[in-house]
Amino acid sequence: MPTDLLILVSVLIFPGGLFAFSLGLMLKGVDRRVAARLQGRVGPPLLQPAFDLIKLGFKRTMVPDSAAPGVFLAAPLIGTVAMLLAVALVPIAGVYTPDPRLGNLLVLLYLLSVPGVALMLAGSASGSPFGAVGFSREMALMLAYEATIVLVVAAVGLRTGLAEGGVVTFSLAEIVRHQQEHGAYLLDPLMWPALGAFLFFYPANLGIVPFDIPEAETEILEGPLLEYSGPALALFKVMSALKTVVVLSLGIALFCPIAPHGIAGLAVWLASMVVLLAVGISAVRVSIGRMRIDQAFSFFLKWPLLLAAASLTVVVVV
Amino acid sequence: MTTAVTETYTIPVGPLHVALEEPMYFRIDVHGETVARVDINAGHVHRGIEYLTTKRTMLQNVVLTERICSLCSNSHPETFAMAAERIAGIEIPERAALLRVVAAEVKRIASNLFNVALLAHLVGYETLFMHVMQVREIAQDIKETVFGNRMDLGAICIGGVRYDLDEKTTGFLVGSLDRLVPEIEAIVQTYRTNGSILGRTRDVGVLTREQAIACGVVGPVARASGVAYDVRAVAPYAAYDRLPLEVHVLTDGDVWSRAMIRLAEALTAIDLVRACLRDLPDGPTRLAETPDIPPGQAIAKSEAPRGELIYYLKTNDEPRPERVKWRVPTFMNWDALRFMLAGAKLADIAIIVNSIDPCVSCTER
Repeated sequence: MPTDLLILVSVLIFPGGLFAFSLGLMLKGVDRRVAARLQGRVGPPLLQPAFDLIKLGFKRTMVPDSAAPGVFLAAPLIGTVAMLLAVALVPIAGVYTPDPRLGNLLVLLYLLSVPGVALMLAGSASGSPFGAVGFSREMALMLAYEATIVLVVAAVGLRTGLAEGGVVTFSLAEIVRHQQEHGAYLLDPLMWPALGAFLFFYPANLGIVPFDIPEAETEILEGPLLEYSGPALALFKVMSALKTVVVLSLGIALFCPIAPHGIAGLAVWLASMVVLLAVGISAVRVSIGRMRIDQAFSFFLKWPLLLAAASLTVVVVV
Repeated sequence: MTTAVTETYTIPVGPLHVALEEPMYFRIDVHGETVARVDINAGHVHRGIEYLTTKRTMLQNVVLTERICSLCSNSHPETFAMAAERIAGIEIPERAALLRVVAAEVKRIASNLFNVALLAHLVGYETLFMHVMQVREIAQDIKETVFGNRMDLGAICIGGVRYDLDEKTTGFLVGSLDRLVPEIEAIVQTYRTNGSILGRTRDVGVLTREQAIACGVVGPVARASGVAYDVRAVAPYAAYDRLPLEVHVLTDGDVWSRAMIRLAEALTAIDLVRACLRDLPDGPTRLAETPDIPPGQAIAKSEAPRGELIYYLKTNDEPRPERVKWRVPTFMNWDALRFMLAGAKLADIAIIVNSIDPCVSCTER
């Protein structure tokens, strides 16, 4: 098969596109279910996120009079497309290695910030004051957590690059291959600070408690999403589901890409996604309350940044 | 940042807002994330109940006042009945006085837990919210089992109470209270130590003692600001003068203090109910005959879960009252919101508003 076609398949069918879409919705369902169980509730059916999407698909998208219609409708598209590309950039150990022409870790980092930018666009284009507040909060939060994730990625890339006898590498495929040959960074104490910092990045990037500040329902009524309805809102939900897949699989690729080849590898990967989701997201969001934006900002400039900087220093020094 | 945020914009909180349980409209000028000015606009649930009371007989009004608001639904008919009894010079039987305390304090437990649960919800701590609501369910079960209803107890009548405790309901009541105590104590411990709660409620929405006195705030809001004012203690009614009532006072005047006062009062309410059950004498629960209320006027006040509730009643020769007027605790408390919200963060508005436990349908009737 020509490689161009392979790239297309990886973006549209597996592991991006259809596969990531269904997986993201399922993960959202699992998350709601696990959170409900932890709270002593039964929780919705696993397919509830899919049902929600179908329902939204049948509704109209209302564009407020005060909105800038072009940007308002383009924002969810931009975010979703960026996430579709991003999924195809993350390797699945033993199953999928992305084509180098798709891009490397740096491209992924840029793509990962697109959903946040899309939400900011949406908030400012909706013409609602709540959207404006959401915009400024999203921006503050991004400023706070981006530094952390960049340092974490640099630490992992540097560790791999140095061990391979070169300089820093930003090829995820190489990072995965190195770990498959020399053991996962999960078991490498030197990388634990980076792992810790990365775990803080999860809730902030995915916008869940305690960092669901830009959308805080009881404060600013979902902020940027307030004015969205119908298919446009559904697109944002798809974006969020895809983002869950990207961020979780990035975590696995960076720290624990150990799996056999073929179907068994896929099964192991899926299992680790679910475990990471339950531990890193569901359990966190039920056991804590929301921070204020100033609290979150200073928090991120303290602990996660400190951990990330420490890990980079450790990698350079040792 | 080199340029300061200079733009001020207006954010509407309400009349319908997820954080408000009842319609109330705040027009908030926000400077960045900081509140610059607050306009409070009321009147969305005005139903003309005050006028309606003059179209109903005294007996019907006991039923009507119970429906002013669901959370203080026992305090309204109780205070109305107290005013009527004062005009007629009626002494209610001892058993009825104690049973009125039981009804009022059971309502207080549920109402205070409800507010404290909402605080967790507004902070985004859904698990704690659901847990506190689950504990409140015990109080709801008491209401349903003993009084037959989950919100409106229908416990009060002029000259006594309309319910009685037998061996079975007393046993259930005692058992439920025994289950409630450790649960509420655990909740108190959580609110005292949990970082999420403390980080969002300590030093938020502060009302100083001077401001509290100037605004004339009542109830837990006053007691959290160091004003030891509790109608049950300063002007005892029903059987409160012979019960071991503890008035809780904190001095910080922030959202957290108000929540802690409510939790402490829920525990005190349990003690009061237990004391009532211990001393409960045999005897009638109401006057043998429904009394006629002669012409006259009277004022009665009681301590509702939210604070001091005052009723003014004027009667004439007709079976209908000439004028009924009441002042609810929220009316006194919501003006103090201006002080609490001054300079607050946008994120804290809902938390601060909730901390006065506003009861809008009482206030706007």
